[in-house]
Amino acid sequence: MNRAGLSVFLCAVLPLAAFAQRDPGHDRVVVPQTRIDLRDLGYSPLDLIPDGESGITSLAVAPNGDIYGATSGVRSHLFVMNPLHGYVFPIGVIPDTTSVTHSLVVSEQGHVFLGTAPGGHLLEYTPDDIDNRNIEIGKALAVKDRGAPVPGESIFALAIDRKANRIYGLTSPNAHLFSYSISTHTFQELGIVAHSAPWAEKSEHEKTMSRMLAVDGRGNVFATGEDGYFYEVDGKEQTLQKLSIRVPAVPGREPYTRVDAFLIARSGAIYGGTSDGYLFRLDPETRNITNLGKPLNQYRIAGLAWGTNGKLYGVGGDDSEMARLFSYDPKDGSYDLLGFIDVNRRPYFTWAAYVIGDIVSDDRGTVFLGENERISKLYLFFP
Amino acid sequence: MKGIGSRILNRHRCLRVSSALSLFAGILISTGCQITIAESTATVDYRVFPRLGQMDGNWAALLAASDGKVYVGLACHGCSGHLVFYDSVTDKMVDAGDLNSLTGQSGLAVGPQSKIHAKFGEGNDGRIYFATHGGWWFDYARFATPEGYPGSHYMAYDPKLGRIQDFGIGPRFEGMNTGAYDPKYNRIYGLTHPRGHFVYYDVATGAKVDKGRVNNLDSICRTLGIDDEGNVYGSFGAGRVFVYSPRTDAIRELSMQLPIRQKGISLGRDYLKSETAWRVVIWDRTTRRFYGVEESESALFSFDPFAKPEDAVKRLGSMAIPQLATQRDVPYATLSLTLGHDRKLYYAAAAKEFDYGGSRVAEPSHLMTYDLRSGKTEDLGEMRLPDGRPVLGTNSADTGPDGTIYFVGAIGVDEGSTEGKENAGKIGDMPYRLALFMYHPKAVAAHE
Repeated sequence: MNRAGLSVFLCAVLPLAAFAQRDPGHDRVVVPQTRIDLRDLGYSPLDLIPDGESGITSLAVAPNGDIYGATSGVRSHLFVMNPLHGYVFPIGVIPDTTSVTHSLVVSEQGHVFLGTAPGGHLLEYTPDDIDNRNIEIGKALAVKDRGAPVPGESIFALAIDRKANRIYGLTSPNAHLFSYSISTHTFQELGIVAHSAPWAEKSEHEKTMSRMLAVDGRGNVFATGEDGYFYEVDGKEQTLQKLSIRVPAVPGREPYTRVDAFLIARSGAIYGGTSDGYLFRLDPETRNITNLGKPLNQYRIAGLAWGTNGKLYGVGGDDSEMARLFSYDPKDGSYDLLGFIDVNRRPYFTWAAYVIGDIVSDDRGTVFLGENERISKLYLFFP
Repeated sequence: MKGIGSRILNRHRCLRVSSALSLFAGILISTGCQITIAESTATVDYRVFPRLGQMDGNWAALLAASDGKVYVGLACHGCSGHLVFYDSVTDKMVDAGDLNSLTGQSGLAVGPQSKIHAKFGEGNDGRIYFATHGGWWFDYARFATPEGYPGSHYMAYDPKLGRIQDFGIGPRFEGMNTGAYDPKYNRIYGLTHPRGHFVYYDVATGAKVDKGRVNNLDSICRTLGIDDEGNVYGSFGAGRVFVYSPRTDAIRELSMQLPIRQKGISLGRDYLKSETAWRVVIWDRTTRRFYGVEESESALFSFDPFAKPEDAVKRLGSMAIPQLATQRDVPYATLSLTLGHDRKLYYAAAAKEFDYGGSRVAEPSHLMTYDLRSGKTEDLGEMRLPDGRPVLGTNSADTGPDGTIYFVGAIGVDEGSTEGKENAGKIGDMPYRLALFMYHPKAVAAHE
């Protein structure tokens, strides 16, 4: 198109863009459309996890490559996606549960463990022959109840050390750290990471603790707690220690800052994202923290995952915002800001995720992003 | 070179649609319904909004209240919208104020309260309830930023005191794309833009509630319908319907299907509008059902929320201008549907894609009716002012207590005229400004 033609085109299109709800120019602010797709949570239109129960708040990759997810809402559901099939299979309703937040782990043997809220129980699901089952929305998930690690507390986060066959967890609202031995079915309470809520408005009572736990290559576990301090569990000794390092934050905001997401690198480094939207790197041996800056002018880092290209992928944005995807290249410290998480398959459908609940990636390099809204989808991003 | 705008200012020099009409004049039988095409014009009286010529749009925000006042929300992209009312008794137009001032955000340098983008409602206390909306969204680059739009305010205007009450911001950072007020439960309901949440404000308790997302930003339905039991209905997805019950405080998705045209018909417009939802619905107390127009081909349908799902939705015909109805590019439906006292649905149909300053060309709207008693659809012809100027498009309608049919939309103005000194911009190459239109069915019937 020559310059005159372009001018005519712009004159014709721009006035429309001013009034329309979405215009072609919107495409430049969303993730490139050849690199993103989504899946409904089930088999449309009927065999779907119902709206209001579909907010994806936990994702995990099993040793065999299956992607497991758990939802929050009126009820919680467990689902699985076998990458070879490519569709989401709702497995069942998690008993007495409305929320599973970063509390889904899969053991080396392929058993799925769920930390529930509000009940605070650790449930174990053993996968059966899903390929030869029909989807039955509403059917109760068959689980073994391994008990409540801290009576009266909800489970807020779980992490697993597959080598040691041990699960670690954090409870809410009182920030107890515990461990669970898969082989002996025993819990051990390790201590508390937040005794008091930060100085805040009288209506605010929530204690500040990390939304995830990180297990490093040595089997030690990291969390953050009161006043933004890091805590470390010695995996061998099963002891909890408060460290002298704090979450990167604007001076004064440490008490209100928590780690939203952790990600372990092959190098052994731990990457993390904070509730203020900063990315950082923690050397678990030297305990040095490097603040890598803030990729977006938004709060929160809803999740982090590795691409097979060596880049780290993350999503920023608080619950009242519109989530954006970014990547970070550890080689040169550069960010790419990839835009809103939006899948445009007109004329068939279009859908955007405004709130992301969790992110994982598999060894094929696909990044899975779980949407956490009343109507939610599982997004697939191909770096 | 004379443009389209100057051509259509004079009805005698340009009758593009009327000329085409002659090819189709007579009676057509389409989808089993009797459709009458008229070559006549529908003459409407009008009032402009004095000193508010820069107001550039109006969508849904029109209420002919029980006391004879007609409330209008005037939009201004990039600036503050206004609440105005026309006193039909004294024939005066009153500017109740600019929305930035009324919401207390003047001088804050934040995204302006540019619109009332949804229906007003009249409470049992006589107050007029509504919610505000943002204007430009800048591809959401400013969403949730300090300079961005702070969020929609729930508000009420008390005509007895002549005062506004501001109930404060409801959804943070989001506008009220769609809204409805229910006097039975005394609540303002809404759908937010851009995130498509169903929200409400309970006037009695002051509770602000967010029930979560119901749709995607490009397909948020533009009208919430409320039945006489206080249930709230909206369309979502591909022609589906949800209902919110105030008794259970829960949203339920219904299984019936709206008459939505197959996709892929008009890719260009399809990109801009989802074309999968109803555009407008109104509740009929007599038949206890909704009548509505879907957004893609302007199909008219009825929706009986108390019927069995398989019987709930019936396609009644089309409210598009008849000779356009079978075309691929039938213009996007307007919000201008109301039920007259004569049991006729009145609908102002666009002759071309119409979105005020976003319109590429200007063509006269047609006034369509559908008689609920006979099932007869009638094209009353081009809507024109008494001086012959065309109504270039409308996007709201309501019926006054005396049976007057009101619309708000655009008229072309001559920049050299008194009316044209202020204008909102151009439709095609024609300067335009907003006006309130009045159509008197009884007077027309008497004349005939």
